[in-house]
Amino acid sequence: MKKLVALLMAGLMLLNVVGVMAEPAVGGEIIYASGTEISGDWAHGAIWTNNATDNMIRSLINDYGTISYNQGGAMVQNASVTESVESVVNEDGTKTFTIKIHEDLVFNDGSPISAKHFIASSLLFSHPTLLGMGSKSSAYVYYVGGEAYKNNGLVMPELAKAPEGETEEQKAAREEANKKIEEDFKAAVTASVAEGNAKWSGLRLLDEYTFQVTIVAKYIPYYYDISYASFGPMSIDMWLGEGYDVKDDGEGAYIVGDMTAETLAPKIEHARFVTEGRITAGPYNLVSYDVGAKQAVLEINPNYKGNFEGQKPHVQKIIIVKAEKATQFDALETGSIELISGLTGGEEVNKALDLVAKGGFATVDFERNGYGKIQFACDFGPTQFKNVRHALAHLLDRPEFATTFTGGYGALVHGPYGLAMWMYKDSEEELNEKLNTYPYDPAKAVELLEEAGFVLDAEGNDYVEGLRYKKVTAEEAGKYEHNVTLADGTVLMPAIIEWSATPDNPVSELLVTMLQKNPDLVAAGLEIRQSVMDFSQLLNWLYRDSSQGDQYGVPKYGMFNLASNFYPIYDRSFSFTSDPEKVAAGWNTNFLFDEQLDKLTMDMVYGVESDNPEGYRKLWVDYIDRWNELLPDLPLYSNVYYTIFADKLKGYEESSLWGFDSAIVYAWVEE
Amino acid sequence: MLKYILKRTAYIVVIFLLLTFLMYALYNLIPADPARAEVEPLRGSMKPDEFERIYQQTRYEMGLDDPILVRYARWMGFIANRQGKYNGLLQGNMGYSSFFKKPVVDVIPEPMKFTVSLNIFVTLLALGITIPLGIQSAVKKDSLLDRTVQVVSVVGYSIPIQIVGLVFIFIFAVLLRWFPVMGMKTPGSNYTGWKAFTDFVYHISLPVLVLTFSSLGSMTRYVRAAMIDALSMDYIRTARAKGVREKVVIYSHAFRNALLPVITIIIGWFLGVFGGSIITESTFSLNGMGRLSIQSLNNKDYELALAIQLFYVAVALFGRLLIDLSYGLVDPRVRINK
Repeated sequence: MKKLVALLMAGLMLLNVVGVMAEPAVGGEIIYASGTEISGDWAHGAIWTNNATDNMIRSLINDYGTISYNQGGAMVQNASVTESVESVVNEDGTKTFTIKIHEDLVFNDGSPISAKHFIASSLLFSHPTLLGMGSKSSAYVYYVGGEAYKNNGLVMPELAKAPEGETEEQKAAREEANKKIEEDFKAAVTASVAEGNAKWSGLRLLDEYTFQVTIVAKYIPYYYDISYASFGPMSIDMWLGEGYDVKDDGEGAYIVGDMTAETLAPKIEHARFVTEGRITAGPYNLVSYDVGAKQAVLEINPNYKGNFEGQKPHVQKIIIVKAEKATQFDALETGSIELISGLTGGEEVNKALDLVAKGGFATVDFERNGYGKIQFACDFGPTQFKNVRHALAHLLDRPEFATTFTGGYGALVHGPYGLAMWMYKDSEEELNEKLNTYPYDPAKAVELLEEAGFVLDAEGNDYVEGLRYKKVTAEEAGKYEHNVTLADGTVLMPAIIEWSATPDNPVSELLVTMLQKNPDLVAAGLEIRQSVMDFSQLLNWLYRDSSQGDQYGVPKYGMFNLASNFYPIYDRSFSFTSDPEKVAAGWNTNFLFDEQLDKLTMDMVYGVESDNPEGYRKLWVDYIDRWNELLPDLPLYSNVYYTIFADKLKGYEESSLWGFDSAIVYAWVEE
Repeated sequence: MLKYILKRTAYIVVIFLLLTFLMYALYNLIPADPARAEVEPLRGSMKPDEFERIYQQTRYEMGLDDPILVRYARWMGFIANRQGKYNGLLQGNMGYSSFFKKPVVDVIPEPMKFTVSLNIFVTLLALGITIPLGIQSAVKKDSLLDRTVQVVSVVGYSIPIQIVGLVFIFIFAVLLRWFPVMGMKTPGSNYTGWKAFTDFVYHISLPVLVLTFSSLGSMTRYVRAAMIDALSMDYIRTARAKGVREKVVIYSHAFRNALLPVITIIIGWFLGVFGGSIITESTFSLNGMGRLSIQSLNNKDYELALAIQLFYVAVALFGRLLIDLSYGLVDPRVRINK
């Protein structure tokens, strides 16, 4: 028996030793090649700048959010930070989240983190002084009492509304008067800040480690409502300094201290850009930033408790440098950089694979959470007819296009989804059955055009060859520039599609070859006319932004080649709204007014409780199906991205939902 | 002379003011909405109402709803801004970088410092090579050396600098591994003093070689042509007839006279130290003025682009004055008093 116990003990010890050996050592460094310039603005929560590398650095140095995104892009409670996250729907329709954090959390300088640090960010960046200084925070919209807080407790006077039959002169006078009221009110709010700061009733400090937030009723239910419980700690000492604090006397949280612009401006400027001694709470500390060389150096934060899975980093140092496309592979080969993320297209990927074949490098690949597309304007010209959009889809060999454009490193989607999304993965079979893949089929295209009424020639006779025309109603005809009016007043619309494209764009170039100049398209009686323009101009046409010139206000282009990427929060609400104000503000750039589609986009997020993923998924499938039927966009390709890195880096797994900042925490270096 | 300088300075001020208006108007004629560009990335994470509020606020802050003349006057500092302060170009405010989210005057110094350092290296090295080479080429006209210099300088002059850059990278960085492919310092290093200087020199050696190689052709040919002209003058023949040593004839008599047309080009080169090389700085990932210029345009950071271009306008205007004055100083036959 003793022998057996001894043997078991020895076995356990061996296992323990193996376990210890399996834990990678902390050390080494990796030089990350950034495609975009570092701006050096480390402001909390991307309040001022929004470039990709800045965001990545912010994520590496700030990771104590109460809610985290997991590897699949789903929001999960961060167990390293929170002891509990509880929610209750109140009688008035509002919803309250009560969040208790662990008591052992500290910033990178060792100073303790308490509940007030989690709401400090919202209080600061939604403060009227900060909003006046350019803060893009919108927290005040979602939490009860936010509007009052934003106005420092003052009530905005009511603005004059447009009376019926208002003339242009009256409108101008009314707008001028309203502008004056707004400016006076803004001045009053600014002046009131000198007398004290308002309390935010929807943000509460319950005790040192517990805080509570209440969401306004109009945003409940919301499938992603857990995002409203997402808060990260902010160092009050670093951002505001001595004499400032966050308190709650029972009526709501507020900031103690002088918040006038004169006092605050230099503090904020300093806190945005300070590197040395920056107080943060993430897996890494920002050790240095060389403004001249544009290099940032980050090292492990020894006070970091771990991410939502308790994972701590092992790569001691991360150096972020700017690399250029023309020389990045030479730089990689010679060791000037060690990791390039998100390579795409045959040329780049093949170069990366060649380097791997030479030795010393490894790659990971992942599918893009988005796609390149042709976007249609669905309210005028030939593309207003669903059959024309379908016909175009049948006249483009999309699998061939995707293969050619991505050099074989891409995939094809048939709707607004990414292949890595959990909804897609859970619904793949169902979607395969439901979705039309629009295979290359010129005969079908002709059939669809005929079915849509494009059966005439320019004189109104039966179509034989050349360009097709359709007899249209006055409403369908609109102001389309190519319409032809016959002697008897009949209006004919030719199957001419104006296409807005940007210069030096390989997608446009391939579309010219495979679609515009496709003999089958010409034979089908369609014509595509390309106009090449600057991207800003393309956007003016897309948004029909007449503030940039009267010409943009008149619909002209029926198709645009663009791209879409999806956020982990898949919220397409208002994308197909019919509300004229929202449409004018650019919320439905397809100009597709379909009640069913609009309802699905709204119901998907506002009609499902957050604890009902199956209900969400079902609506999502219905939405994708309806979208696929209406085809407001024609998906062209979805890239497969490659990340290449020196093979000393082990355990590195990246995806479109799990970027470098998350993946590096699980990796280690073996020299 | 003083009167001439004052008169020219007055012209410069008038031309500069005219150009500020023209350039400001040109940038503002671009059919783009900077407020939309600024807030569009937030659309996906915002509700329509809040997005619209932020968009309108950004338009207000950028003053986009005001007429162009008002915006220009405010930008120049002729009239007070929304905060009631005179804070424009005349007061030293060169605008606000929409990409870096800070005043332009805070963005430019670092790239400018680098570009000036790089160009001083390049200019000194290029002059150190081209002047002796041009002289020797002229003295030994039609010799093997002269023909070789002629061919090499034409080739160097003709090859686009990006090709030179890529070829040099392949030879000296990838094959020989003498220099790094890119960057301005060893990644992650925190050197100071002499070590930092040598590290900097090591990193900029290859770009300096590329820029020097590409600039050899023109200056060598200028010096050669000026020397050939000078050597054919009567006073050279006289000097030689008097038995003056050939070295003295070349360097004291011929070169000093040949320098007159070349000096203006040399001054132009030194003025050019402020101007960055878009291609070389981008190829080697160097944070200089050339790359900053092209980035400001690519990022649609128009106030930054405008400020950079106006700075070069000012340098060019004053540089031209300096060149004209230098003519009078180096050549006594030229009198600048009108």
